[in-house]
Amino acid sequence: MIQFEAVKKTYVSGKQEVHALNGIDLTVETGEIYGVIGFSGAGKSSLIRTVNLLERPSTGRVLIHGEDISTLSARKIRDTRKDIGMIFQHFNLLNSKTVHHNIAMPLLLAKTPKAEIDRKVAELLEFVGLADQAKKYPDQLSGGQKQRIGIARALATNPSILLCDEATSALDPQTTQSILDLLRRINQEYNITILLITHEMGVIREICDKVAVLEEGRVIEQGSVFEVFTNPQHATTKRFVRSVMNDELPDSLLEQIRLNDGTRPIYRVQFTGNSVGQPFMSRVSREFQLDLNVLFGNITELQGIPYGNLIVEFDGALPEIDRALASIRNDNIQVEEVQQHAG
Amino acid sequence: MQVDQSQILEALWETLYMTGASFVFSLFIGLPLGILLVVTRKGHLLENVAVFNVLNIVINIFRSVPFIILMVAIIPLTRVIVGTSIGTAAAIVPLVFYAGPYIARLIENSLLEVDKGVIEAAQAMGASPGQIIFRFLIPEALSSLVLALTIAIVGLIGASAMAGAIGGGGLGDLAITYGYQRFDTVVMLLTVAILVVLVQGVQSLGNLMSRRVRRS
Repeated sequence: MIQFEAVKKTYVSGKQEVHALNGIDLTVETGEIYGVIGFSGAGKSSLIRTVNLLERPSTGRVLIHGEDISTLSARKIRDTRKDIGMIFQHFNLLNSKTVHHNIAMPLLLAKTPKAEIDRKVAELLEFVGLADQAKKYPDQLSGGQKQRIGIARALATNPSILLCDEATSALDPQTTQSILDLLRRINQEYNITILLITHEMGVIREICDKVAVLEEGRVIEQGSVFEVFTNPQHATTKRFVRSVMNDELPDSLLEQIRLNDGTRPIYRVQFTGNSVGQPFMSRVSREFQLDLNVLFGNITELQGIPYGNLIVEFDGALPEIDRALASIRNDNIQVEEVQQHAG
Repeated sequence: MQVDQSQILEALWETLYMTGASFVFSLFIGLPLGILLVVTRKGHLLENVAVFNVLNIVINIFRSVPFIILMVAIIPLTRVIVGTSIGTAAAIVPLVFYAGPYIARLIENSLLEVDKGVIEAAQAMGASPGQIIFRFLIPEALSSLVLALTIAIVGLIGASAMAGAIGGGGLGDLAITYGYQRFDTVVMLLTVAILVVLVQGVQSLGNLMSRRVRRS
């Protein structure tokens, strides 16, 4: 478990003070995959580095499994770091050493016997799918392979926490997907808590359980990925969600809405989970003598839960439309009218 | 030609001896200083502004004194260390004072080239400062360090020729006393030719070793 309590980080350069973190309160539960998203300069990088004390908070505390490690001696801090693996955007492997040596490094530092190291490295290489690459050097590998080596190295000391610092930002989409799959396996098979920072909402949607949105050193929104994606509150969050959910209405549709004279009102219908399975449209159409015209929409899956978002034009007698809306809402489906000025 | 083969061989041996011995001692001094210059700077492993500033200034002072002046200036110290201020052994003392700070700077340069991310990764995996220096910084910089030290050796070959001026012996001494003062052009050209071959050989060896240690 990782707890941030009123964490602030201020850099002083000359007379200028830069507030990288402005009072962060967050809790990452054991076994979770927690994603922190933000644009560059939001403070993500400082935030993740306060966990293993690569950066010390200026004020506030970071608790690892309930313990504030900033109060420990340098030696104890190093011991705690062995329980917190970290992977990096640019991998940070030793180019002068083989793949085997790179993965063995944390064990060499801990003076592990050679036989034990060889066994563990072989196991890790197998796990990340690079069993035949042990004798290669990092510059002979692709970006995705380097990140797998980085992951194997981070897992060598059997950590309980894995920090991912923009781990897929230097990779192409396909490779990103395979690395994310690997991270999910790590989380599930070893029950390792993962804290990741990214600027890609796709990464959050793909593997995270919870998400926090960071802006100017503050958490502006946090919650389960499902909540935040289906009901983003803050403008920045909406921008991030839109970058992957594509629920922005096309121009032609906006024009149609603008010209709508109110006789055929247009509604945004959002349904999730169980309500997806219901044939609500045909039911409402029959029951209230309405013609329903779907203008736009998409149905996708978030955290294994189906989620739909439709723009529907209701054509029929207005009192019947009102009754229809009430009936739809009764089924736990969200309906809101799309205003003419909506965009 | 006013010198025979044995004189040339002796001079060559003296040059090799001066260069080799002063290189070993200079490395002994320069390596720790170079490492300290890196790790005590602001934001680094063992940040210590006082140590860094003192080292920085002292090294600059030694580096700014021309070798020919340095040689004369530290004669009293040379007497204390070797018992005499003349001869090959005596020449080694100023050579070390010349090359030690130089090597410190070269090593500093090479170590600073190591990607900060590698140091961060080392810290994140719980490495101690000593482990970071010897298991991460130096291995990653080794190829560049070998090239830097090759530069230092070539510099020492040149400086050791100057040591001939205080009777240090070696090829430089031969060139001055016979080639220059007794107008023996053949000796002059011969010593220069030997020095050229020596430098070429050292540089080629350095390049080869640097490639070899790039992956270890």
